Amino acid sequence: MNNRRHFLVKSASALTMTFIVPSLLSSNAQAKKPLDQKVTDKKSWGMHIDVDKCADGCTACVDACNEENGLTGFGRPETDSQWIRKIKIKDKTTEKITTMPMLCQHCENPPCCDVCPTGASFRRVDGIVMVNQHTCIGCRYCMMACPFKARSFVHETLSTQNTNAPRGKGCVESCNLCVNRIDHGSETTACEDACIKAGHNAITFGDLKDSNSKVRLAIESNSPRRLRDDLNLKQKVFYSNI
Amino acid sequence: MLRLLIISSLIFVCMASLQPSNAHDGNPHISPGKSKADSQEACVEPTDVMRKEHYLFLLHQRDETVVNGIRTKNHSLANCIDCHVSYDEKGKAIPINAEGQFCQDCHVKTATNITCFSCHAAEPRYPNHEKTISKDELKEISKIAKRIKDE
Amino acid sequence: MSDYTLNKLKAPRLLYWGIFLFLGFLILIGLASSAYMEHEGHYVTGMNNQIVWGLPHIFAVTLIVIASGVLNIASMSSAFNKKLYKPLAPLSALFAIAFLIAGLIILVLDLGRPDRLIVAMTTYNFKSIFAWNIFLYSGFFVILAVYIWSMLDFNVNRFSSLVGKIAFGWRIILTTGTGSIFGFLVAREAYSTAVLAPLFIVMSLLYGTAVFYLLLRVISRLQSIDIPDEITKNIRRLMIIFLLANIYFLILYHITNLYISKQIAVESFILLNGGGYTTMFWLGQVGLGLVIPLLYEMTNDEGRSFGLTITSLMVLVGGFFAVAVIIIGGQAFPLNIFPDHIILESSFYDNVIHSYTPSIFEFGLGVGGTSLALIIILILITNLKFIPVKK
Repeated sequence: MNNRRHFLVKSASALTMTFIVPSLLSSNAQAKKPLDQKVTDKKSWGMHIDVDKCADGCTACVDACNEENGLTGFGRPETDSQWIRKIKIKDKTTEKITTMPMLCQHCENPPCCDVCPTGASFRRVDGIVMVNQHTCIGCRYCMMACPFKARSFVHETLSTQNTNAPRGKGCVESCNLCVNRIDHGSETTACEDACIKAGHNAITFGDLKDSNSKVRLAIESNSPRRLRDDLNLKQKVFYSNI
Repeated sequence: MLRLLIISSLIFVCMASLQPSNAHDGNPHISPGKSKADSQEACVEPTDVMRKEHYLFLLHQRDETVVNGIRTKNHSLANCIDCHVSYDEKGKAIPINAEGQFCQDCHVKTATNITCFSCHAAEPRYPNHEKTISKDELKEISKIAKRIKDE
Repeated sequence: MSDYTLNKLKAPRLLYWGIFLFLGFLILIGLASSAYMEHEGHYVTGMNNQIVWGLPHIFAVTLIVIASGVLNIASMSSAFNKKLYKPLAPLSALFAIAFLIAGLIILVLDLGRPDRLIVAMTTYNFKSIFAWNIFLYSGFFVILAVYIWSMLDFNVNRFSSLVGKIAFGWRIILTTGTGSIFGFLVAREAYSTAVLAPLFIVMSLLYGTAVFYLLLRVISRLQSIDIPDEITKNIRRLMIIFLLANIYFLILYHITNLYISKQIAVESFILLNGGGYTTMFWLGQVGLGLVIPLLYEMTNDEGRSFGLTITSLMVLVGGFFAVAVIIIGGQAFPLNIFPDHIILESSFYDNVIHSYTPSIFEFGLGVGGTSLALIIILILITNLKFIPVKK
């Protein structure tokens, strides 16, 4: 009698744990890739940026990225991390002035991954170039190697990191296309979200292998190019109207 | 009937317990404050397995998560923290690597230093997602884009 | 020099302990600097997201280049059968070990996460020249140890020529690897050229010979013995050859860059309007480091040893500036992300020359590392028999 009672109590709580609690914790249960499966190359994440739509003086993407990844500045612009930044450029011939966001280009032939001595800087099979911060020794060679100055080094002890974006002193970091958020089923990166919410729609993110994705639509309806395509790095970030 | 009532009220009391209670294996909790783990029957693995091998689970899981994108909650560090972090009377999370808290309890006794929290958040902290665009808004934008393309 | 034995250094006790304590003090300062940098984070240094490699790397690369070059004396005796340097060969290999240790320790202590050295030594991405360098440097230690053993142990002395040739080849590959750290980088216009590898090789030959002669002079002073004239004259001839080789490769590197349109911007930065970097290049690297020593030595026909000492010092100072121009100057020039545009504004300093002010901690680390090399040499030559003395 006692044993049966005991068994019922234990199994009831175990079942509660297994079924109810997890679904309470993850509201976004419709993950595109199931959380327990390895990421595959069936998706190829990419981004399109239409610089004509980018507004001068707007920093929505930068603020959203800082918020999403817990990037707190220390009032030291030379050493504070920047995963995305706004740049204002002027065409030498036409003298047209444009502003645009600049971020990691997620190259298919990334120089940063070629030079990393431990392989911490790596390219995930779905195209996201990121740093495995468990293996990074902080040598900064990848920062020397990046033609777009996409990488930042964490110069001080951090204490207010976000749970979804672990980062720490002594390691190198850069835009990871909101990989944590994407793996959990989000269809947008934080910067894209903010740009849409701000009404500009300059940034479009999605699966380049899906012919119906908004990023494919954006690329097909504009004539985008890659920055420094003479280097043949085959970036996944495309720019239009530069 | 009476027995059923007693059993169900016992279950209710156990599950709804707000008092800092014993840990799931009967030992008293030493960390001040209350954590979700207080009310759980068991950890994701048996206690003696966890005690001896939790670092192996973490070491394996971290490669699976970072390189392969496997983000199951079972051996996830974020989930450990979520459950084991203590909250003070005001409901604010106490950093899990603070003195007297869950990790430092054993790690100080065994004199093994952990560097997890030089990078990982010591309390659950997520970005403010209220500004997130909804899925419906997204669908609308995609439709407009497709219409422009087809024109 | 056929009748000689190898002895321990017999320096006056007070002088020995004075030098030892002074070097030890500098090493402690270096350790303290590195501990502070590691504890606080790199924001206390002058290095930032624009200039990621700074003064510690200048020291480290110079020391590693010297380590490779100082072995040249031994290589000449073993690989090229120059009997004049046979007595000095074990000493030369000892110097190489000391300078390599120093250079590597500075590099490791400047890492963002020096606690992960084990990770660096066990996880390799073999596409990276850095990974190959870790392998090359540690392998070099083993080869040097075997080389010294083959030179000192009578039973295996017949292998010293073979090991010497292997050490010579390994040295060339190692220095190529060091130059290729920069040569393989496509991002920066000052780098990304194959000529950096042979340039580093001739730099190593020049600085290594200079350091060897300076240390020889110090030892001869400590022990009150004379360096034979023959050796001084020969080293003078070597210095002239290596100075000419350096000038050749430097001219080749810069003239080729000037021919290539997209490299002209960075070349005019280094050669004309880079402010401090231009001064360091012309006055330091070229003037003090190459032209003045060459002109002096060409007129120094009697091979005056004091003159050669001054020449060696000038070469070393010029060499330090040479490495500084390569490492810092190459990073100071902003990246050319938009060849058809001018960058007007950027929060990440994309549109300006990057500034670098070294902090005292980086200098402390560099000096501490150099002192480590010297103290290793001091301890080993005083307690082991490496100094050749006429019988």
